[in-house]
Amino acid sequence: MNSVEKQLSELIEEPPSRLERSTVVGAGAGDLVSSVDSRFGSLWVAWSRVGITGLTPAFASPTLESFIDHHRRVSYEASSLPNSLEHEIVSALASGTSEGLRFDLSGLSGFQQSVLEACATIPVGAVRPYGWIAKELDMPRATRAVGTALARNPIPLLIPCHRVVKSDGSIGNYAFGPEMKRQLLVSEGAIAL
Amino acid sequence: MKAHDASDEDEIRRTLTSNRDLGFTMLVRRYQPGIYSGARRLTHRHEDAEEVAQDTFLRAYRALSGYDDKRIRDLRLSGWLWTIALNLCRNRASRPIRELPGITEATVSTSDPLPIDFDSWNRRLAGLSTDQRTAVVLRHVVDLPIADICVATGRPEGTVKTDISRGLERLRDAVQREELL
Repeated sequence: MNSVEKQLSELIEEPPSRLERSTVVGAGAGDLVSSVDSRFGSLWVAWSRVGITGLTPAFASPTLESFIDHHRRVSYEASSLPNSLEHEIVSALASGTSEGLRFDLSGLSGFQQSVLEACATIPVGAVRPYGWIAKELDMPRATRAVGTALARNPIPLLIPCHRVVKSDGSIGNYAFGPEMKRQLLVSEGAIAL
Repeated sequence: MKAHDASDEDEIRRTLTSNRDLGFTMLVRRYQPGIYSGARRLTHRHEDAEEVAQDTFLRAYRALSGYDDKRIRDLRLSGWLWTIALNLCRNRASRPIRELPGITEATVSTSDPLPIDFDSWNRRLAGLSTDQRTAVVLRHVVDLPIADICVATGRPEGTVKTDISRGLERLRDAVQREELL
């Protein structure tokens, strides 16, 4: 017969398999990730208990691992998005309006958050120069910093950095290439073919 | 497997100061299984243990946002977490018991050659005082060092050791009495 101490040491019970995930995500320390089908193909989406934290089209990030690596927040794979969130995202992509969607930009600097919040107000069918955002922030000389912040937009397509162009009228840069930016703006009726 | 590993603790503390969310995830991964196991023996139902195991870390996460780097570097992680967990276990113990202690769901693995008799151990542990049961579970189920048990219970070392030895004596008596029946 084993000693009492030995028997006590065997009273280990494994926690339920999802406990770590629900603890980390529930605390706000991590995200869930999954994919959703859209008119741009499959999209990886990451979300916290506050809102969407990241989005990348699968054509730009073929595997979940590459998305999570790039996403740089603790992430757990979910089998799917919550129905309501999936529906909201698909609607937003169709209408070009992200009103009502909740974003979680808490991992970004205050400046980056302000840039993206200003960008989110640009309506579908419109474009604005980088300088416009700088002025919105009361920082008229921060145009270059605005460009850098937009280049790091973690939620493209939903936060419409593609609607920000150069003041000389040229398309400017885009994470998925200027051609995609142009096509998006054409499909939104913001520029002519 | 359960050995107290100081280098783990150091790495977690360092990460907590440089990347709170990653450090927190490491904290959960390292300590939540032990908190769950201990809570299973210190509360009645597996839902309670799950809640304790989750709420402990929720509270820990909130507390961490108020700690500066120095305070984090000085933290005894298991002692600190168990201080929170024991409070949560105590809150649940004061709720009315709708089930007899020791009725467990099917957590026993039937493929074990000698299945672990959780029910009997729950019954035997229920015969100890709260302090003895807490000390014995933390020392022998969770494998916490005495120093962490002192932090978690707020009791001095001598008292904790007495709780453990008296608790173990009572458990041995209970086992012997059962063998005589």
